[in-house]
This record gives sequence, structure tokens and C-alpha cells, in this order.
Amino acid sequence: MIRARSISEPTIKDTIIHRMDPRAKIIMLVAVSFIVVALDNPETMLILFLTVLGGFIPAKMPLIKLKTLGFLLLLLIWGTMYSQALFYSQLPRTVIFTIISPDLPFLGWFTHGGLFIYKEGIHYGAVQALRSATVLSLGLLMGWTTDPRDMLNGLVRLKIPYSVAFMVVTAVRFLPIVIAEVATVVAVQRLKGFKPTKFGYGMIKTALGILTPTLANCVRRAGVLAVSIESRAFRANPTRTYLKELRCSNFDIAIITITVSLAIAIISVKILFNLYTSEVYYSTYLREIYAFARWYL
Amino acid sequence: MKPILLALVLVLLTLPLSTAQDVGFAPEEMFSFSVQVPYGAKEGGLAVQGSNLSAYLFVESFQHGDMDVRVHLDLPDEFEVKDETVQMFRLHTEYDDWYRFIDFHVPPDVPCGIYTINTTAYIDFGDQHEIIERKTTLRVASKNEISDMISIVSVVIPSDEDGVGDPSRPENSIILQEASPFINKIKKIAGMGDSNEDVRVSYVGVEIENNGDEAVPLIVSYEILDIKTMQEIGEFKPTLMGMSSKTFSYSNIILPARSSKVVGLPIYTTDSVMGGEYLLRARVTVTGSNWDAATSDNKITAISRNWTSVVVSLVAFFLSITTIGIFVSRSNEIMNSFKTRHLVMISLFGTASFAAVNIPMTFLWEISHAVFGPFSFLFTGIFYEVILYMLIVAAVVLIPKPGVVFLLLMVRYLLNGIVLGHFNPVFLLSYSVNAIILEIMLYAAGTTRGNMDKLKTGLACGVADAISQYVSFSLWMVLYRLFYSDWYLKANILIDGFIYTFIGAWLGIKLGSKLKKVVE
Repeated sequence: MIRARSISEPTIKDTIIHRMDPRAKIIMLVAVSFIVVALDNPETMLILFLTVLGGFIPAKMPLIKLKTLGFLLLLLIWGTMYSQALFYSQLPRTVIFTIISPDLPFLGWFTHGGLFIYKEGIHYGAVQALRSATVLSLGLLMGWTTDPRDMLNGLVRLKIPYSVAFMVVTAVRFLPIVIAEVATVVAVQRLKGFKPTKFGYGMIKTALGILTPTLANCVRRAGVLAVSIESRAFRANPTRTYLKELRCSNFDIAIITITVSLAIAIISVKILFNLYTSEVYYSTYLREIYAFARWYL
Repeated sequence: MKPILLALVLVLLTLPLSTAQDVGFAPEEMFSFSVQVPYGAKEGGLAVQGSNLSAYLFVESFQHGDMDVRVHLDLPDEFEVKDETVQMFRLHTEYDDWYRFIDFHVPPDVPCGIYTINTTAYIDFGDQHEIIERKTTLRVASKNEISDMISIVSVVIPSDEDGVGDPSRPENSIILQEASPFINKIKKIAGMGDSNEDVRVSYVGVEIENNGDEAVPLIVSYEILDIKTMQEIGEFKPTLMGMSSKTFSYSNIILPARSSKVVGLPIYTTDSVMGGEYLLRARVTVTGSNWDAATSDNKITAISRNWTSVVVSLVAFFLSITTIGIFVSRSNEIMNSFKTRHLVMISLFGTASFAAVNIPMTFLWEISHAVFGPFSFLFTGIFYEVILYMLIVAAVVLIPKPGVVFLLLMVRYLLNGIVLGHFNPVFLLSYSVNAIILEIMLYAAGTTRGNMDKLKTGLACGVADAISQYVSFSLWMVLYRLFYSDWYLKANILIDGFIYTFIGAWLGIKLGSKLKKVVE
């Protein structure tokens, strides 16, 4: 059973990935997020996904984390394949299974002519899922190899307002506590006879029963915490210092340069290619670029 | 003098005779008479065994006055004539004309070879009687001979009206029109829309070559087929001005001997055409026959773009960038307007929303998809809408100020990124748009100004989330190239976006009121 802690808490080790500057990690994550949105070529998307997965090898992640990653990827890819198998709207498409027949009263009409599983949609979904899978894998790699304090330090150095960073630190710090409280309240509710998984109004009633005591604790805690941090001169000065200074190594600078340059280049080429395919702008000088985008991006 | 006078008398006497002789005309000056077998072939024609053809007869008068004409078309006995071969008519004035198509059938078992066709016109004009003969030849060839003679050299998609390829447009592709009813309505309102719903999108250029020694009457056409089933896609042949576009998308040509020609044919489409891969089959048939003398199959891609989603995504992008930019540039001012206790409370509500919604839904989302299929939103909406909005509205009840929703959703997004790795541009834009619209709606409803009206707050949240849902789906469709059916989008927006959110907001006020007692 995968527990929430196995997802939420980083594994601190001394590897090349762990040593990376959090700013480099965040910039790389943002750059890769833009790259996956720009790409359309399945082979290139697969290479990028495998490259990201390859990052877990030097990070020496524990088995539980790898299992979690595998489980999440499986769910994600399955979900995208399933939804696209249903909604695929390109030709050719081959019906392999009928979920709702067009003749079925009400549902046939409601779904505008039935609901089918299309063979080509399954393949299309698998390819498109690579985008989400790449971002999810890289995000988890970054999250699992970075202490939240370092991550937030990195965000602050990237001009995220300190107060916001503080709020996120607070949220991260209290996440295990809130999860534990929710689990306790659910256990108590069950003992009282509630069924948390009962569909419909029962779920809402249970949610209200769980959220009220959990949030009441949050409200109480907020008061105490506010007094505590104000007594430590929170927001007393416009600028503040940090115990741990972040320094970018040559490796970090190289990673930032490569990923950002790659993202800018790929996005620029794809914009030009899309302008061409949309019959908006064409230049004979860019024919090589169009060909490159068509075959590799 | 006598001889001179005698000569003069002789001239005067012979003058009426010469004048009378000048009244008669040469036949070619009296009228024009032409024969084309088959129609269109000005020289020797060509027919394939088993074809139905028409001979074309044309007569035009160049004289004033009644001209009686009898035309006799003498077709070889081997041919089956379907009309009268003898035609009689009268032309009344100068440039009055007459024409007829005489249909005949060339049976499949007719021996191949060159057949001579004689046509005779008998003309009575006043006292003048003329007979004119025209001799044409028709070569009857077998299918094999025609196949060797006629070939499709190339098919260019897209091309211009003349069939010439345009390198500025992607090869073997056609760009489909916007399929969005929303954009179509705007176009119509702005007067930019085509009054006809069916729109021509492109041209295909077909180059045909004739290696034979006769001019060949040909029909060049195309059909677009499903690449798997090879069934013709009707949407590419819509009805235009009350007629099938098949009427417009073919070309009738006479291809001279030893020549080639490029023909441009329009490609039409309707809104219901889907993007994807198709097979465009160019066809060349000899006039009068249904048999394809040459075909050429070409794989084409129909590129469909939902411009509404693209525009919505662009608006969401600029809205988010602007809002985030304003927030970052004025962050001190904004954050200082909140007490430390409020910031802590918002972050804890962010944590609670993350723990109660994001973490369970990471697993339940896909599992519910597997169990409930496309109707899983009825289940997932309980978390994503009811519980989430209970938390958001409860936070607003406790801190009734503009900016609370924005901060709460920002914390939730950053937590989602740091803990679950969901630093995803779609999430960033969705959360931003959701926060902006919700802030505006709650301010308009008075909720963030301290007026806690359950109905107004519920409606504000419902409308805001319905819009956010639409934006979110548009982002997934554009940035992650995913497909969603219209009914699915509408059901999600109505049930999840509006109804569930309304319930969540309603309950959120109740929850907030309870928590307020804790604060007090």
C-alpha cells in the first residue's frame, strides 16, 4: 500500500541530482514543461520521457518511491488512453467496443450518437500521455531530491514574494500533520458508523464531518502560530537573510543554459512551423526549419 | 463609232446575266456546319469499348431568309444509335443556329480500330440547293490501350485554382475551417461569415498525360475516402446552392495527342469533417464511360484547429501572466494588507484543500475513470467541486477580503508542484484563471466585502467555476492535444462546474459560520 508520506516527503541523499541548485531544478522543470507542450513527434516525446526517467538512476531513489512513481505513471497513462479512446475525433477510427449504443434511450441521444472505444484513440492517448508523464516524473524527481526549505529558498531567489514562500513553507510543514488529523477524524467517523466512501449525499455529509474538526484545529493553530512567528520578528524588516546561501555550480549553469536554450529553440521552431501549417506565414528561407519541425518535433 | 456602240449594247445586255450569277453563294459562305464525335473532339476522337457517347452537330446560317436543312449522321452499323440520325429544321435569320447531341453506344464487343463517320447536310436556300459532307474518324480502343495511353503524372495538394502547387502551404494537407459554432456566430455577426455553411477549403491539381495519337475527351475528378474502409466521405462533397458539390468538383477536358495538362479541382468541406488521415483518389475517365482510365491514390492530412480553444487559451495565458506580474510587482503592498494570522490560516486551508482534494484525487481520479468511464465526473466532482468550494468559501467567510481566494489557490498550486511534481503549465493557467474569475465574481456578489448571501455566493462560485472548467478543457485540448466530446464538456460544465460548485459554496458558508465560532 502506497502511503501519503511516500509521496510527500523527499529522500535526502548526496547524489548529483540532490546537489543540484533548487533554482536550476525549478528552471529545468519549467523549461521541460514548455518543451513537452511544444512537441508533437511521438519518438522525440518518448526520448524526452526516457531521459527524465533516466534521472532517477543517479538519484538512487528508494524502491517505495519508484513503486509510487510507477503506480502514478500507470494511472496517468491509463487514464489518458481511456479518455482518448472514448473521445478520439480524427479519422480513421475503428470501433472496438460499444459502451453506449446510439439506440439506447436518453443516453444515446445525450451522448450525440453513442459512445465507443476507438482503437486509434488508445494509441493516440498513449502518445499524448507522454507529455503529462514527463512533467510528472520530472516534478517528482525534483520534489523527492530537494528539501522543501531549499525549494522555497530557490523560489524566493527566483523572485517569488517571501510572504508567499512562507505560506508554502507553512503548508508543507503542516501537510503531514493535517493528513494525520484527517486520518484520525476518518477513523473516529467510521467508529461512529459513517461510511466515508458511500456515494452521494453520504460522502458530502462525511466530508462535512471530517472537515469541520480538521479546519477548527487549523484555525486554532493559525492563531498560535501567528503569535509565535510575529514574536520572531516576521515581516519586521523589508529584507531578510538566509541561513543557507544558494550557489549555482558549473553543472547547474550548464543545465540551465542547455534546457532554456533548448526550450526557446524548440518553441520558436514550432511557432514558425504552426504559422506555416496554418497558412499564416511562410518564408522560403525557413524550408529547412519546416522540414526539421515536421520530422523531429 | 459603230463598233463602240455595238460593244456598249453588248455590255448592257450581258450585265443582268452577270448580276444574276452573283446572287448564288459558295456553300461555306452560306452557313457553318460542324461535327464533333464525340462532343469536344474537333479532330479524330477516341472512345473506349462499351462507352456511351454523343455526337455533336452544329449548323449556323449566315444568310437572311429561310434556310431548310436536313442533316444525316451516318454512324457505323456496329454502333447502337439512341436518337434519330436524320434531323430536319429551318433557320430563319442571319446567325440563327441549330445544334443536336445524338447519343450512341459503342458496344463492348466492337472491334478496335478507326471508324469513319460521314455526316451530310442538305440545304435549301431559295433556289439554291447545296450538299455538304463532313468526314470524321472515331478510334475505338480497348481498355488496355487507353490505360497505356492515359496516365496521371502527379497530384498536387494543395494547389491554386489552376492546379499549380504552392510551396507556402504544407504538402498533402488541407486546413479545415474553424469548427466552433462560437467563432462562426461571431463571423456572421461581423458580416465576415460565408452565407453558405459549406466552404471551399482548397484545390487539388491533377496532371494528366496523353501518350496517344488522338485527342481524348476526359473527365477528371477525385473522391476522398476513409483510409481504412475505403468508403467515400460525404462531408467532402457537400450541397452548394442546392446542388451537390460533385457538380462542381470535376473537369471535362479534351487532351490533345502527345500532351499533358494540369487541372485544378476545388475541394469542399463541411463543419462536420474531422481532422485526420484520408485517401484522395484522383480519377480520370474517358468521356462516356464509367471506367477509370487512370487513378492515383494520395494520402492526405486534414488539419483541424479549434480556434475557439486556441483563442481561449491565449486569453487565459495573457490574463494569467498579467495578474501574476501585477501580484509580483505589488506583492509587498498586497501581502501587508493581510495579518500574519490570516496568512497562516490561508496556508493551512491550502494544506487542507491539498490533503482533502489533491492527494486522494491523484489516485481516485484515474480509478474512477476506470470504474465509471466518461461519467466519472459525477464522482470526482464531489471532491473537486463540493469539498474544494466548501474550503474556499469557508476561508472567505473567515477572512472576507479580496485576495484570499487567489492566495489560497496559489498555495495549493505550489504545494501540488512541490509535493506531487505537478508544475504543469495547464495547472498554472487553470488555477490562475479560476482564481481571477472567482475573485471578480465573489467581489461582485459582495461575499469578499462581508455580505454573506448564500444564494449570491453559490451563484457567483457556480458561474466562476463553469467558466474556469471551460477554460481548463480548452487548455488541455490546445496544450496537451486531447479530445473531448461536446456533450462531455457541457455535462462537466453544467453538473460539476455549476451545480456541484453551487452546493459546495452553499455548504461552505455553513462550514465557515461554524468555524467563525471557533475563531471567536
